Amino acid sequence: MIRKTIVVENELGMHARPATLIVKAASKYRSDFRIRMEDMEINGKSIMGVMTLAAEFGSNLELIADGVDEEYLINEIAELFANKFGED
Amino acid sequence: MKKLQGVAVSDGIAIGNTRIILRPKLHIRRKSITQNQIKTEFERFESHVNNVVEEIDQLITDISQNQDNRDILSTHKMILTDPEFEASVKKLIEEELLSLEQAINKHFTAVVELFSNMENGYFAQRSSDYEDVAYRLLSKILKQGGDRFEGLEQDMILITDNITPSEVTSVFAKNIQALCTERGSKNSHSSIIARSMNLPTLVNVKDLLANIENDQKVIVDGHQGVIIVDPDRKTLAEYEPLWKQEKKDKQLLLALTDKESTTSDGHQISLMSNIELPEELDNVLKVKSNGIGLFRTEFLFMGRKELPDEEEQFAIYDKIAAKIAPEPLIIRTIDVGGDKLSEVLNLEHELNPNLGVRGIRISLKHIPIFKHQIRAILRASTRENIKIMFPMISTVREIIKVKTVINECMKELEKEDIPFDNAIQIGAMIETPSAAITSDTIAEECDFLSIGTNDLIQYTLAVDRDNMAVGDYYIPYHPSVLRLIKMTADNCQKKKISCAVCGEMASEKIFIPLLLGLGINELSVSPGRLLMVKNEIMKYDLQKIKGHTDLILQQNTCEDVYDKILKYGELDEYFE
Repeated sequence: MIRKTIVVENELGMHARPATLIVKAASKYRSDFRIRMEDMEINGKSIMGVMTLAAEFGSNLELIADGVDEEYLINEIAELFANKFGED
Repeated sequence: MKKLQGVAVSDGIAIGNTRIILRPKLHIRRKSITQNQIKTEFERFESHVNNVVEEIDQLITDISQNQDNRDILSTHKMILTDPEFEASVKKLIEEELLSLEQAINKHFTAVVELFSNMENGYFAQRSSDYEDVAYRLLSKILKQGGDRFEGLEQDMILITDNITPSEVTSVFAKNIQALCTERGSKNSHSSIIARSMNLPTLVNVKDLLANIENDQKVIVDGHQGVIIVDPDRKTLAEYEPLWKQEKKDKQLLLALTDKESTTSDGHQISLMSNIELPEELDNVLKVKSNGIGLFRTEFLFMGRKELPDEEEQFAIYDKIAAKIAPEPLIIRTIDVGGDKLSEVLNLEHELNPNLGVRGIRISLKHIPIFKHQIRAILRASTRENIKIMFPMISTVREIIKVKTVINECMKELEKEDIPFDNAIQIGAMIETPSAAITSDTIAEECDFLSIGTNDLIQYTLAVDRDNMAVGDYYIPYHPSVLRLIKMTADNCQKKKISCAVCGEMASEKIFIPLLLGLGINELSVSPGRLLMVKNEIMKYDLQKIKGHTDLILQQNTCEDVYDKILKYGELDEYFE
């Protein structure tokens, strides 16, 4: 299992489009993927889960991947956040 | 009294009572299941979800969807295929012994509540996605929720959240007075259709549903884009005469539907329709237009990641040609700037797309794509009522090149034993000064010409019509423009081919006698304005307006030209 902490840097927060991109990317991998924000932890392959986080600009998130391809999964997701989901 | 501002899509005034129509409620029976039924409910879940996902997949590839709708549909698909959704519904079935319908309903109700209670407004709005998906899925399973507009009656003012293009056609068929929606945008497909129906329509009215009740009196002002709820006496007194006058005028125009479009001295002027979506056809037929003078094909190519193939295009051209036959259908090949197609064609960014690779220049640069369109048009031409028109022609050479391509396509089709009209007529749009000035040579190679006044004015006067700062310079009756139109019309007459105008000038009251006087014998306008134009044509005596037009052509300044244009209405007194 690997964990990585990231910060939501796109201004609008994790609205429908970023949430969709995260779920699409994560669903390609076999590993389990969860996202933790404060005391809430959700399934990162679930659009409902990611959207209920309602993570806004500046939120701290912990990405948790567990499985054979966990490293690839977490790198791809971290990159999406780093690129601010291509929004600026 | 309350005034709500929206975006006007189609002008006109309506006064009447509201009918709010949202989605009909679904009825879900309360019923427990037994342990033995759990497996069946699981299977039903999978098959229903799969069906709806398939339906969404089809909608996503439907050409009439714009990108926004596609994005919404992809989100819906993701909601349905969410592993948590499946787990939660199955858990409710297994542990609480709920029927599939009840389990789905319970799951989505909880999710919607969760979102609605969020503090951030944006996330709170997401609940609507879940409501939409729940409705889509449940109405399929329950086989409920058919035509939501069933109770709509004549003269009502329809208030709704949003409306699909096919719903617009069906509600206007019920003779409602006006349509107002809380969402939507000015150039959505629904709005384009509403405009061609020529009924007062407002979209994107902020907080519409929160401020209106059923059976409430409202004034819809489609000129200013406002809806006035519970108008006071003074406002009502202001609007009533205008409303009555518009109604009267509309009645008078409707009476012209079956009349021939001829001038008072008996000259026939062919009056055709411009359309940009297949859904506008019903209206074209309703006003008994003399065919379609301009079918824009851009909608087929825009807002998508892959170009439409020959089959897809053929299906649409063939359908429209069949419906309009025996009247003619003039199909204009794709006319967009490179900026709009850059995504699919991988084009380089242009600093000035209006003077760049657009219209026929794109087609001639991408011959394989152009050939798909030409072959599709040719295959649909078997009823012999299709003509092809080419946009942004600036030299006769382009027409000659285009003809070679058409010939190649014809040879291919012959080899493949596919029938087509081998005498299909071809025409050029005259919308650049170079084309107008050399219209004698272009006419030599064509069966008809059609003047696109919007671009011709823009290119002749060097004025961007969307740039407010130079708005004063955009003068449709500038002597240079009139001379170019006249030159084109004269050259057509020499070659004995028809000369049409399909730009906005053709549907502006004051310019109609001017265009006829310049020698135009065919006008193509939006179907919503066709009867108004016919009414104008019937007012004038062609002989007299020709004499007056010669006088206009001798004026030096725009002001003098304009003064004389206003005198067309007084010609009878003038000559007597």
